[in-house]
Amino acid sequence: MGNLFPNLITIGIIAVSMLIFSTFTLFAFNLTNFLKIWEDKIEVIAYLKRGTPSSEVEPLLDRTRLLEGVEIVRYVSPYDAMTFMETKLGGQKNLLQGIQPALLPPSFEIQLKKDYRNPAKIDEVVGHLREIGQFEEIQYGQEWVDTFSALVHILRLTQWILGGLLLIAIVFITSNTLQLAISSRREEIEVMHWVGAGPGFIRVPFYVEGLIQGLLGGGLAILFLFLLHRGLFLHIPPSMQAWLARVPVLFLPPETIAWILLGGTVLGFFGSFVASIRVLRYK
Amino acid sequence: MIEMVHVFKTYPSQISALSDITLEISSGEFTFVSGPSGSGKSTLLRILCCAEKPTGGEVVVDGVQITHPGFKKIHQLRRRMGIVSQDFKLLRDRTVKENVAFVLEVTGHARGEAKSKASDMLKRIGLEEREEAPILALSAGEQQRVAIARAVVNSPSLILADEPTGNLDAKTTLDVMGIFSDLNHQGTTIVFATQFTGLIKRFPYRVIHISNGQVSNGKKVASNEVREVKAGE
Repeated sequence: MGNLFPNLITIGIIAVSMLIFSTFTLFAFNLTNFLKIWEDKIEVIAYLKRGTPSSEVEPLLDRTRLLEGVEIVRYVSPYDAMTFMETKLGGQKNLLQGIQPALLPPSFEIQLKKDYRNPAKIDEVVGHLREIGQFEEIQYGQEWVDTFSALVHILRLTQWILGGLLLIAIVFITSNTLQLAISSRREEIEVMHWVGAGPGFIRVPFYVEGLIQGLLGGGLAILFLFLLHRGLFLHIPPSMQAWLARVPVLFLPPETIAWILLGGTVLGFFGSFVASIRVLRYK
Repeated sequence: MIEMVHVFKTYPSQISALSDITLEISSGEFTFVSGPSGSGKSTLLRILCCAEKPTGGEVVVDGVQITHPGFKKIHQLRRRMGIVSQDFKLLRDRTVKENVAFVLEVTGHARGEAKSKASDMLKRIGLEEREEAPILALSAGEQQRVAIARAVVNSPSLILADEPTGNLDAKTTLDVMGIFSDLNHQGTTIVFATQFTGLIKRFPYRVIHISNGQVSNGKKVASNEVREVKAGE
């Protein structure tokens, strides 16, 4: 198609808009992934009342295992708890000198079924656990789960609101820049109208132009995002790299990339469609 | 071929371009539409080729009621028309042959066939030696001949020519008129708008006078009247 400058501007604008959207998508994707990893590890710890006879532990274990949503229950005796703390403290385990294991409460580490690893379902299970009199305290990091879920929810919401605004902006900008491209071929289009070229014959090249611009814009956005993602890893301090090894920052999965490319293409097409309605009326 | 019944055209600025025009042009006729500049000739032709819609009345062109609210297929009607305008409307970045072949290409002919037909047409109007020349290298007369070649290459049944000799010298004007006369002898209906009475007097064709947006007999302004002028009148 004739006019290179408006075409490059359109591709650039689609690329920037899709890059912003893709960046939010990448953040949301990684936070969701992080939440999933964390949810997989989520456990409920139910502390038994001190002095609970060991004869009651086994029936209590059975009762807990039968609760809805519970997958695995592990009994942690005061001695196991002491060993765990010593392992955690490593070189500073001498801080525990003088503390008798009996001071530590026995507990149940309760792993939940996959479907129950979310705030609402955890509350449900914890409610059932609270009905058991032998438990003194139940911990599951509720506040953290709630905060993190809210954060992911806000990010996803922002992503879609921003996506909606960008969508309108892309259609508006694409249609306007395509109008420039159409204007640059006004003479040819006028002659086409004059000699009886069908509306499809006149419009289809502009639709194809919009499709290609959208696809290229989407492709460039993905490429820039990939380079940013790679570049970020090159400049991460070693201390953070160790942490990231446990929680990997992933790039967008292929199906999301395909959706973004498709989105760019559809937006480019829609922009050219709007432009054609506005300026390619048969006259 | 053409029928206009009580046709009005008033622009949004309340300027009346055509007022109560009623006329009929038969198939195969050569008709001059004459009148001074601004009399409504171009508006009349623009209505006939669907470039403008009248504000009132009925227009039928080649059996199609173009004023019908449901009429949408302008391009199909235009394929049966050849339109020649004073400003040629040629593609300046293409050659003579490409300009003529363009009509055939956009109406679905293969590129090779379009170029071959364009060459034949250019030969008929005496431009075979200029077919590879860029349009801007041509004189005004040659450009007008290219515009005519483009208008007729698709063998239209109707040619609408709006001041096609307006920019031409006397000799080229006669050449161009010769081309139109030949086409008319082959059965093409021609509506030829011009303000030059000298040209009208040289050719024995019907004349429709138009003045202040009304068809007149040339003496007193009266709507709904068509004056036919024969050569020598």
